[in-house]
Amino acid sequence: MSHHDRFLALENVYKAYDAKVVLDDIDLAVSRGEFCTLVGPSGCGKSTLLRLLLGQEAPTAGAIMLDGAPLGYADTRRGVVYQKYSLFPHLTVLDNVLLGKRITAGALASRAVRSAMRDEAVEYLRRMGMADHAGKYPHELSGGMQQRVAIAQALIMKPQVLLMDEPFGALDPGTRENMQVFILELWEEAGMTVFFVTHDLEEAVFLGTRLLVLSQYYTDGRGDGVQRGARIVADYQIKVASTRSKETADFGAFIAQIRREGFDPECRRHVADFNLRHPDSFHTVSAAELQR
Amino acid sequence: MTWRNPHFLGFAARPSKPLRVALGSALFVLCLALYLTASHLRHRDNPQDKILPSFGQMATAVYQMGFQRDTRTGEYLMLVDTASSLRRLFIGVLLAAALGLVLGLNMGLFPGVEALTAVFVTVVSIIPPLAVLPILFIAFGVDEFAKIMLILIGTFPLICRDIYLYTKKLPYEQVIKSLTLGAGAFTTAYRIVLPQVMPRLLEAMRLSFGAAWLFLIAAEAIASTDGLGYRIFLMRRYLAMDVIIPYVFLITALGFAMDVSLKRFVLWRFRWYSGR
Amino acid sequence: MKKALCTLVTLACLVSLFGGCAAQKEYPIAWSHYTGWEPWDYADAAGILKKWGDKYKIKIKLVRVNDYVESINLFTAKKYYGCAMTNMDALTIPALGGVDSTALIIGDFSNGNDGIVTKNETMVMGLKGKKVKLVQLSVSHYLLSRALSMNGMTEKDLTLVNTSDADIGSVFLSDPAGIAVTWNPILMNVAQSKGVNLIFDSSKIPGEIIDLMVVHSDAPDELKKALVGAWYETMAVMNGGAKAGEALAHMAKSAGTTVDGFKAQLATTAMFYKPGEAAKFARNKKLATTMEYVRTFSFEKGLYGQGNKTKDFVGISFPDGSVLGDRNNVKLRFDDRYMQMAADGKL
Ligand SMILES: Nc1ncnc2c1ncn2[C@@H]1O[C@H](COP(=O)(O)OP(=O)(O)OP(=O)(O)O)[C@@H](O)[C@H]1O
Ligand SMILES: [Mg+2]
Repeated sequence: MSHHDRFLALENVYKAYDAKVVLDDIDLAVSRGEFCTLVGPSGCGKSTLLRLLLGQEAPTAGAIMLDGAPLGYADTRRGVVYQKYSLFPHLTVLDNVLLGKRITAGALASRAVRSAMRDEAVEYLRRMGMADHAGKYPHELSGGMQQRVAIAQALIMKPQVLLMDEPFGALDPGTRENMQVFILELWEEAGMTVFFVTHDLEEAVFLGTRLLVLSQYYTDGRGDGVQRGARIVADYQIKVASTRSKETADFGAFIAQIRREGFDPECRRHVADFNLRHPDSFHTVSAAELQR
Repeated sequence: MTWRNPHFLGFAARPSKPLRVALGSALFVLCLALYLTASHLRHRDNPQDKILPSFGQMATAVYQMGFQRDTRTGEYLMLVDTASSLRRLFIGVLLAAALGLVLGLNMGLFPGVEALTAVFVTVVSIIPPLAVLPILFIAFGVDEFAKIMLILIGTFPLICRDIYLYTKKLPYEQVIKSLTLGAGAFTTAYRIVLPQVMPRLLEAMRLSFGAAWLFLIAAEAIASTDGLGYRIFLMRRYLAMDVIIPYVFLITALGFAMDVSLKRFVLWRFRWYSGR
Repeated sequence: MKKALCTLVTLACLVSLFGGCAAQKEYPIAWSHYTGWEPWDYADAAGILKKWGDKYKIKIKLVRVNDYVESINLFTAKKYYGCAMTNMDALTIPALGGVDSTALIIGDFSNGNDGIVTKNETMVMGLKGKKVKLVQLSVSHYLLSRALSMNGMTEKDLTLVNTSDADIGSVFLSDPAGIAVTWNPILMNVAQSKGVNLIFDSSKIPGEIIDLMVVHSDAPDELKKALVGAWYETMAVMNGGAKAGEALAHMAKSAGTTVDGFKAQLATTAMFYKPGEAAKFARNKKLATTMEYVRTFSFEKGLYGQGNKTKDFVGISFPDGSVLGDRNNVKLRFDDRYMQMAADGKL
């Protein structure tokens, strides 16, 4: 998976709402097939970054490239699973999963195509353990069931990039762990690139092959008067096997380190000292910012 | 000791089924009793009293209007009036609903359309149509078309704005989601958003029927040859309350029936909407 | 908006039920705008009403009601002791509603105040098969009915479109093929517009559309005398009195027109300035013939209500003691006595 192909690349990306800078010079390259988890303090701009990747919003400045071409408005190359609102309330579970297939097949699809689509959707539901609920409406499902359907709905379109914003945020711990294992299986199977935003550091370390810490807690040479947006302050490559057990001492130490680097307002690192260990990682910083 | 919900008083009251029926009818019975007493008193003074007719007088009137052919036209007047009024009402409201749906939906989804029309629709919705009647006469004449237009103008803004605000409130995530599923703008608008707005449209129509009746009656009072409003205003000329009161009842019953059936229809057809 | 009116009427009815028993020294009298009734407003403003009220130790309160039919309905509901109305409405609303009513003053008859206007047709015959706008069941309807019968036609030959009097002017003018039956001042306004023909008016049926002051028959004598006295004093002022100019100016203003405009309206109104003339008109046999036309028309149009099978159901009495219809159910009385008293100077 580490072909270092710059499948997805962000360069000098800024995002501001009116005068408020949210993302401040984001530089990021992601290789095909990587499972990136994104953590950071609440309100630092994780969802914003995801929206930019999705094409839901345009960056204020900077370039985002997907597979060598500038990224445009949302399309079928990217799939998304939100914490809520992913499912259409007026469609049954089966219709929700089938929707993308039906739209892309068009109104003129033959009966054989239609029935093949249907079989595929049923198969996805079966794999999610949702086959018995195909005829229900979303409001008749529990939160975990809804997220499983939402994942099926996105996966059936075989997107090149799957973007997830706290998809398991509202689930109880048991369901959550099941879903984590489940999403890993699906990812290994489909080989797509995943962007996974979470609040939960353990989840981030457990799932990701690459962990990105986004934070506004850092210092640079611009002085005190500047309103700083978030940057990627740490970027780790994670050996999959080493983190599949949450009980080890290493695991705990790693999480403590991430917490210090990204979540502690008292402990601000200088831009020059960002922990960007991942081989794909790069960083453009001006001379002024580098001043101590 | 077990705790029990009270029957009538307080937040936790759970009226039993018979009590609920009794409570529900109490105010109707009270009104009826008031009417009967007042009517009786007036008839004792003046057996010819037209203002609060007795039920006997009203029954005769209903028999004449509804079950006997009119000597001049050979038609059942009540039937003709009801049919004409309902036709105007339905055409008017359905047109308003169709236009309101299409415009409201596009306003809610597309900021360009919104910028073009939102302020205009808001301003238009404030103009009381009855105050600019002479202008409407010149634009639409005074015949059938004008009556339908009056109902349309009277109900369209409410429906349109309601759909617009509702569409605007739908999570934007849904639009993005449908784009990632391969939909274009048109598919998103008419295949994803429109079906979600339909039950809301029916509810907006339900609320609009009140205004629609008002405009229908006003339209029929201005110039017409049949209709419930026409008959009421004609009868008013000689104080034939024995005809007017049954007609008012008919209008109330029709309005109530339409309201209930629309409500039932939404519950039955859009399970997901009422279930949320 | 008219729904609100209906509610008001119902409320008023209910209130009258319970409020009617209180002792009253003040007598409310209703009128609505019409050329022949504007003098009431002047009589009130110039203190003539008060003067005559004082003479008979009563208080008369004149109330203008915006909606003509509503004023009669309120009279029928006994909210008013008297009300200005036409002979036809006196029969069809209070009298048929069982309220014994007396035509106390015969003020005038329409002598061109009501008419048929058209955009294209030039004769009544030309109305065949056309749509005619009018306030159905009003004097306009009566006028049309008389016009048709004088031309050998019936209502079946055309389509009637009930049109509210508030809108009939603008509706007629905005319709290039308009035909309407209406009364003054609307009639005058539209008839003066370009390309409008006045093809029939009430001067062709003189004395049939009569404007009255109607009171409840059981109203006290003092009220009747005071009203008649005040009215004929006002008539004297209008008809060449020292303050005639001032009086006409006041009435024109109240009618919303200029003095010349008001004079033009008066020209088509046959006012009975002298009480003697009015009393004579009341005694004339022709009045019975007119009322026969009116009641036949009203009965045929269903104004007698749903249960009444004959036009003789209600009686109309005349000064000579003759009665049209049921002698035992007289509800409309033409009374010349008070007008005669005024003529004899006995008030
Ligand atoms: N549309 C918007 N207009 C103005 N400000 C916005 C908008 N969207 C986000 N913001 C601001 O941008 C900042 C980042 O928001 P974002 O939702 O991306 O944070 P987050 O990291 O996802 O937070 P959380 O962990 O709580 O979900 C917040 O301060 C927020 O107030
Ligand atoms: Mg977020």
